Amino acid sequence: MADFEAIRRQFPILDQQVHGRPLVYLDSAATAQKPQAVIDAESGFYESINAGVHRGAHELAARSTVAFEDARAAMARFVGASAEEGHEELVVTAGATAGLNLLATAFGYASMGRGPAAARRFALGPGDEIVVSQAEHHSVLLPFQELAARTGATLTWLALDDEGRIRTDTADEVITDRTKVVAMTHVGNVTGAITDLAPVVRRAHEVGAVFVLDACQSVPHLPVDFHALDVDFAAFSAHKMYGPTGAGFLYGRRELLEALPPAWFGGSMVELAWMDKPAQYMDPPARFEAGTQPVAQVVAAGVAAQWLQSIGMDAVAGHEQALTSELLRLGDIPGVRILGPMSATARIGTVAFEVEGVHPHDVGQYIDAQGIAIRVGHHCAQPVHRHFGVYASNRASLGVYNTMDDVHALLDAVAGVRPFFGVGGTRAE
Amino acid sequence: MMPMAQDDGLEQMYQEVILEASKHPSGRVAFAPDLTDEAVSAGESTVMAPHEACAAGESHQFNPTCGDEATIHVDVSDAVPHRIERVVWDGHGCSISQASLSIMVDLVEGRTVDEAMDLFRTFHALMESRGAGLAEDAKADELGDAIVFQGVSKYPMRIKCALLGWEGLKDSMARALAQA
Repeated sequence: MADFEAIRRQFPILDQQVHGRPLVYLDSAATAQKPQAVIDAESGFYESINAGVHRGAHELAARSTVAFEDARAAMARFVGASAEEGHEELVVTAGATAGLNLLATAFGYASMGRGPAAARRFALGPGDEIVVSQAEHHSVLLPFQELAARTGATLTWLALDDEGRIRTDTADEVITDRTKVVAMTHVGNVTGAITDLAPVVRRAHEVGAVFVLDACQSVPHLPVDFHALDVDFAAFSAHKMYGPTGAGFLYGRRELLEALPPAWFGGSMVELAWMDKPAQYMDPPARFEAGTQPVAQVVAAGVAAQWLQSIGMDAVAGHEQALTSELLRLGDIPGVRILGPMSATARIGTVAFEVEGVHPHDVGQYIDAQGIAIRVGHHCAQPVHRHFGVYASNRASLGVYNTMDDVHALLDAVAGVRPFFGVGGTRAE
Repeated sequence: MMPMAQDDGLEQMYQEVILEASKHPSGRVAFAPDLTDEAVSAGESTVMAPHEACAAGESHQFNPTCGDEATIHVDVSDAVPHRIERVVWDGHGCSISQASLSIMVDLVEGRTVDEAMDLFRTFHALMESRGAGLAEDAKADELGDAIVFQGVSKYPMRIKCALLGWEGLKDSMARALAQA
C-alpha cells in the first residue's frame, strides 16, 4: 500500500504559504508539480552528463545518448509501447501540442504525395472526413481543423451528452467509410470524463481510419497501455505527469511511424543529404526528431515515469478516486453546478464547476486569497463550454499529492464565494 | 456559515462600489450576438476579425485568457469639440470588467472626446501603479468612483479586466471620428 503522505512530502514546492495560508495546489490538469527525484534528475543531468545525443564520440556524448534512450524506453514501458531498439514507438516532442501538430502536419504532407509509398494511407482530400469530438482541447481540434482546411477534407465530430461525456454510442453513424482520421481525447480536460474508447477505436479500424488519442489527461492518472487500447497514435506531455515542461511524446504503432513522412527537417533526422537529389531520411523515431531535443527534460521525464510506476498506477487511480468522490460534493453547495459527470465512476479528479452569479475570474481570485490554486477560464476548450452554455468555468484538478484536507479546504472556500460577492443573499461582513 | 477571514487585498479589490456597479451596470444594453449560443456560433464559423462585425463608433474587445468580451458603442457629435452624446455596451465578464465599464460610462458620457482621452490616460496610469495609486491628488479626483480600481492594480492578472472597457472606448471614439 502506497504511503501517500510520504509521497506528498517528496514535492518541495508544496511546503510553502501563499497569502499567509498553506498552499493547496488543485491545478494539476494544467501542470503537475515535480517530485524531488525529477528535479534532481534534470539538474543532475546538467551537472554530470550533458552533451549532444547521437553524435560525437566522446564519453559525455555516449552517456547522454544512453540516458536519453533509456528514458525513452522507460516511458515506453510505462505507457505500453515498444521499447525495443529498432522498433521504438515513442517519438520525442516538445509536448502533446507539438506531437499533435507534428502528426497533422505529416498527414498534410502525405496528402501532398510526400513520404514513402505506404504514406498514401494517411492522404486526405475532398470527400474525406476527419472525426473529433466536442470535448477536445484546442490542441486536438485546431491542428485537425486546419488539416481539413488544407486538404479539403470535412471535419465532423461526436457530440456530448448532458454530463459532457462523448456520445461514443453514435460512433457507428458519425464515423463513415469516408473517415480517414479519428482524433479524440482519452479524458476530457474540462469534464474529467473518461472516454469509452473501445467502440470508437473499433469503428475507426472497421472503416480503415487511423485513431489518434490525446492521452494528456489519462497518462498521469490512470493505468494506460497503448497496445491494449489498440490506438494508432497517441500524444502526451511530460509536465502533466510530474515531469519537466518542454518534453512530451508521440506514440505511433511501429508500422505507421515507418509509413509516416517527416514533418520537420534538419539535423539528426537524415541519413544522406545532397544538393541535387532528394534526401534519404532516417528510420523512426529519429526521422521525427529534427534538431537538438530537450534531452535533460526527456531524461527527467523517464524518471517521472519510473517514479509513477514504483507507486503503481492502480494505487494512484484509487487514491485520486477516493478524493474525487469527496470533491464532487462541490455540487451540493448552493448555486454550484458541476460541468461534467456527477459521480466518481469513469471520471478522474478534474472537476469543472460554475458558481451561479459569480464570474470564474472572481471565483478564482477569492479562492486564491485562501491559498488555493485552481484554474479559471475556458481551459483551452471553448466548444465544451458552449455545450454547457457558459463562457468559462472554474476547474479543480487533483494530483497524486492531494489530500482530503486539500479537498475540504476547497469545499469550504467555494461555500464562501457567493456570500462574499453578495449573490444569493446579502454580502458577508 | 461563518465567512472565512479575508486577506486585505481581496477586500481592497472587491469594494462595495465595484460589486454594486457590476450587479447593476450603467450603459449596458443588449445588441451583440451571444457567443455561448451554439446556433449563433455555428453561423460565425468563418475566420473574421472581431472588428469586421462592428459598426462605425463600435469596438469589440476580447480577453482571450478568460473569454470576457465587450462591444462598446459611442455616438460622437459632429460639432467641434466632438462630444460623447451616448455610450452603451454589451458583453459579459467578471465583476471587475463589468464594474469598470459601468463606472466609465457614468464618467465619460457628455464629455468631449479630448476629456475622455485624458481620463483614459489617467485611468491607465492608475492601473499601472501596482497598487500605489496616482501621485497627483487632482488627477485622482478626476477619476471619481473609478479610483476604487486602485486595489485591482496590485494584481497583474486582473488589470486587463479593468481596462477592457476603456480600451474599447478609446477605439470606438477613434472609429466614430474616422467616420465623421
